[in-house]
Order: sequence, then C-alpha cells, then structure tokens
Amino acid sequence: MSDPRLLKGIGVSPGIAIGPLYVMSAEMPEITHRVIANDEVEAELFRLRKAISDVRREIELLKEHTLIHAGKEEAKIFGAQILMLEDPYFLGEVESLIRENQLTAERAFEFKALEVRDQWAQSPSSTLRQKIADLTGIQIRVLQALVGGSLEDVLHEAGDRPAIVLMRELTPGLTIQFEQANVSGLGSEYGTRAAHAAIIARSLEMPCVMGISGGIDHLRRGTMAILDGTLGTILVEPTEEEMAEAQVRDGRRLALEGELKDAVGQPSITADAVTIKLRGNVDLPEEIELVAENRAEGVGLLRTEFMLIGRNEMPGEDEQTEFFTRIAKWFPTSPVIIRSYDVGGDKFPAAFRSQREANPFLGWRAIRVCLDEPEMFRTQIRAVLRARALADVRFMLPLVSQVEEIERTRDLVTEESEKLEREGVEYGADLPLGVMVETPAAAMMVDQFAEKSAFISVGTNDLTQYTLAIDRGNARMANRFTALHPAVVRLLKRIVDTSNQERLEVSVCGEMASEPLSLLLLIGLGYKVFSTSPVALPLVRWLVRQFDVFTAKSAADVALEAPTARDVYEVLEWRLRDMIDPELLDLGPLPG
Amino acid sequence: MSEIDRTVTIRNRLGLHARPAGEFVKTASRFSSKITICKGELEVNGKSIMGVMTLAAECGSKVTVRADGDDAESAVNALAEVLDTEFGDL
Repeated sequence: MSDPRLLKGIGVSPGIAIGPLYVMSAEMPEITHRVIANDEVEAELFRLRKAISDVRREIELLKEHTLIHAGKEEAKIFGAQILMLEDPYFLGEVESLIRENQLTAERAFEFKALEVRDQWAQSPSSTLRQKIADLTGIQIRVLQALVGGSLEDVLHEAGDRPAIVLMRELTPGLTIQFEQANVSGLGSEYGTRAAHAAIIARSLEMPCVMGISGGIDHLRRGTMAILDGTLGTILVEPTEEEMAEAQVRDGRRLALEGELKDAVGQPSITADAVTIKLRGNVDLPEEIELVAENRAEGVGLLRTEFMLIGRNEMPGEDEQTEFFTRIAKWFPTSPVIIRSYDVGGDKFPAAFRSQREANPFLGWRAIRVCLDEPEMFRTQIRAVLRARALADVRFMLPLVSQVEEIERTRDLVTEESEKLEREGVEYGADLPLGVMVETPAAAMMVDQFAEKSAFISVGTNDLTQYTLAIDRGNARMANRFTALHPAVVRLLKRIVDTSNQERLEVSVCGEMASEPLSLLLLIGLGYKVFSTSPVALPLVRWLVRQFDVFTAKSAADVALEAPTARDVYEVLEWRLRDMIDPELLDLGPLPG
Repeated sequence: MSEIDRTVTIRNRLGLHARPAGEFVKTASRFSSKITICKGELEVNGKSIMGVMTLAAECGSKVTVRADGDDAESAVNALAEVLDTEFGDL
C-alpha cells in the first residue's frame, strides 16, 4: 500500500524544504467579459501599450537578476519572452479585437493568448509544448498589469514561515521571484527536468519537484509538508519523526556540500593511499576557470567544436594556436589534451555539410571527417604543433576504429612539422598522439593501437551506445542505456588491462567517471586517471577519498561475472554502502 | 511587385525553436515584402515570433518561405540562408 500522504513527481532540483503549503490555484487573474464604448477604444489601446511596456521592464529586471544569480544561458530564456511579448503581429491582432469588437484590453489579450496556447498544446512537438510555460508567464504578467493584483501581494499573505509553493505550471519568471521571496521549495503539476523553470531552480539551488501526479487542488493552504527535490516527492502532514528524519537527511546533504568544498583542497588519493589523477573536460572556454579552481591536473578533454558554432568559415591557424596556448597557460605543470574536431553525427559545421545520412552515428563523423577534409585537419594540426612550442599540449583522435587512421594522422603531423621547420615557425616536436576508445572495434584493438599512439582515453557514452546498439538520446530506451551492462564492463576491463600491459596511459573522459557507482567500478577495474566536467570535480575528488581500491576491486571482480546490469548495480551499491551513505547521493536509476 | 517562394530544409538540430525563430523574424522584419512561412497545411506570418514558433519545424523538416513585394527576391534569399546556415547548438 502506498502512503496516501505521499505525492510523487520528478525531482528537478535537489534539496529538502519543510514548511506550510501554499497552493496557487488561481495564478491567472479572472477576466470578466465587458464591452467598451466606441469612444473608449483609444484609451483601451493606450492601456494595452502601457501594460506591455511595464511588463517588458519587469522581464528585463528578471533577466538581469537571472544573469547575476543563475547564468547567461538561463537569462536567454527571458530574451525569448521579450520577443514574444513584443510580437507586432500578435499585438496587432489584439488591437484589432479592441477596435473592431470593442473588447477590453485584458479580454482581447487573453483571447489571443488562449488561441496561441490551444494551437501549441495540440502540437505534436514536445519542444513547442514546453514553451507554453513561457507564454503563460507573459500572459499572467500582462493580465496582472491590466487588472491589478500581483504576486508580491499573494506572497505577502503566505505568512512569515518559508512556504512551499505549489502550482499548476511554474514559469521561469515566477521561479526567480519566489527565490527572492519567502519560499523554500517549489512544486508544479506540469514540467520536466528540461523545463526552463527547472533549469533556473537548479541554478538557484531551490528544491523543486515537477510533474506531480494526482493533482494539487485538494491540498489545503497551510498544511505542513516535506518537499524533497532529490527524490521528487512531497509528503503532506508529516509526523514529527518524519520531519526530524528529513531534517537529518537535509543536514547530511548540506554536510556533503561542505565536505565537497573541503575536498577541493585535498589530494585525490584513495583511503588506501592510491593516487588518482583528476583532469577536467572543457566544452567552452569560460569553463576553464572552474577546472583550475577545482584543482584539476590539466585538461583531459578540450573540445574544439565550439570554435565552429555560428560561423560559416573554418577558424584559422593563428586563432586556434592562440586559443590552445591561452588554455594551456592555466596549467603550467599539467597537460592539456586537445581533441580534434568531433563533428558529424547530429552536429555539423556549415562548411562541411554532408548529404543526409540514414544512420549519421554510424556514418561520416569525427576522425573520418578530419581525414577526408585534410585542409581543415592540417590547419588544426599546425595550430596544435605551434602551441606545443610553449606548453604541454597533446592531441587526441575521436572515434578511431582502424590503425590506418592513426597512421594517416601521424603522417600529417610529420608533414606539417617539416613544413613549420622549413618556414622557420616555432613548434613543439614529439607531439603525443592519443586515441579515444569509443567503439567495441577500438576496444578490441588497443594492443595494435599501442604501437602507434601515446595514450588511450575511453569515451564511455559512445562506447556504451555502440556496444549496446542503443541510441543514447532515445528517451524510450533510456532505462536500457547503462554503462553498467556486463558487456560494457568487460570491454572496460579489457581496455585497461591491455593498456597497462602496453604501458600506455589510459584514462576515462566520459560522464561515467562522475557517477558514484560507475566511478567505484572503474577504480576497481584498475583505472587511475579521470577527466570529468568541471562541476563534477569536487564530488569525484571526495568519492575517491572515501573509496579504497581493495573494496573497489572486489566489487569489480563480482561485476565481471554478473549476468545483468541490475546485478552489477546491486553489487556496486552494496559495496558503496560500506564506504559512504548512499542516501547522500543520487545513484541514478536501477537499470533494467 | 512579385511573389517568390522557396522550399528549404531546416538544418538546426533543435529545429526552428525560440532562438532561431527569433533570428528568422528579425531578418524577415528588415524587408517590406509580406512574408509567410508554411509547413504542410500550416501557414503563418513570417514576421511574427509566435507564428513561426507555432510551426514547430523540427530538424530535417521542409518549410516553404514566400515573399510578396518589391524586395521579395532578396528577402527569400536572406531567409533561406538563415534556415540553412544556422547550425546553432553543437
């Protein structure tokens, strides 16, 4: 029997909030139907325009606040809202309803907004349905500007205890305002992790649950509740014990945050004194500072695709050299591993657009594109060689499946080195060339790659996708997509063993290294070098310090004999429990 | 006065969603021609962000841009380029 007091949803922003519920069921002001007289039309048009410009100012303020407290990407959400608010054709139609049908400004605006909303709600596109929240956000603001009654008044009424606000649909703007007000947690019936409001809640560290099933209208205002944004639940009328327990859990979560902060200053060694090397992945130049702050030993994966975004011509040699050198300056004593363009699949620069392929992920991408477009590839190689004159940069090739791909790249590197030599341009000799192992083919060939390359880096997302023949972006397959599948575990074992035999440095640069269970597995299999996203670095460092290699190895040994992903998960979880309290962590869903 | 149309395939991986739709509308608004964009049976005003968003044109779908007016030809050229060269979020 499930507890009738427990509402279930999706945890979209972690943390726990305890407080009285405040159910906002009538967030949209009631508009009464009223027809205006002919001579009132001009005044009504003026009211509309004033409301639009007031709301614009409001949204601009929210945008600024978001920029400061959440981030640039989050702030763009409000840029889109402003465009929608000022859509001249939409407003033109609202104005003609006022003129020709003599509706009030609020009635006319509501009418047109509902029309758009209906159209969007019926769309088969989930992206468009997600945008309804933005439309709602605008509609509420404009109607409130016209008929009065603001959110601030409502919140004032909520009392002095931090409230948990529940509503049908959470908009990005409201999320920001709740954060400034006396609100400790948010919940909504609509929405998913990808909703704009969810993104903002996470940035603001406001616990939030979306997709609450069973409705919220029956809940009484002021009822005590525990909202758990980690588990995605709301427990109404909790007992004293349950509240105490939640507080303890939240205390531990906060303590974990504190520990993570402290861990940043500590060496990354396991409890039994094995040194683990941590590097950072860099997608965009602005992330580099966080990699350095979190004391990574260099960059394990410097992506170069961002240089192609939003432009039609390829970046030049000088520009790339300057960029690589600038990044490397942050790490005077550690390497920066540059990955050659990983284009293709679903991402393609305008300059190299190919024919549409039936199976782009099995088609012309990554190293295959680079080798077929030697001009582009040579320019990148020259830039890497020139940067190596000044810093320890290394070069890594994505999606290698044949020895020839390494040989051909090596030939290009040799030719370009000779050219630079003749031209009298400074460059660094002996560029270490590494291979990304992302396919079962590559995993089986590590011994052959060893003779031609200087290091191995495992891309776990692609390795999982190609081993299991499951598209990693397919939501329907999401519960089957797991790096804990025994086939992936066995390949990972083979890769690390062969690399060690061949005395090649081997690292993991996929998401897998930042998930507690799979990190334990990787350490147990024998991996000692990891590169993760900069935000994950403190957690990974802390986990490494809790783990001991002996326990990890015994878990990995069982995992290698396990028949199913579920068995692998269970053995890892069981061993993890010995070392840390898994309630502190999001262990991810049980596969199967 | 002339009317010109052209059918283009959307290249942006995320489709013609808010940001690229905004780009399209901004470009369309620079021309005096009346501009419509349609996908299948649905036809919307090319200078209206709400309208263009309503199309929900996903990556790989085909849309037809139509311009009617003195600068129709340059409008269609510019708009086809927006749809074709925008490859956005890698």
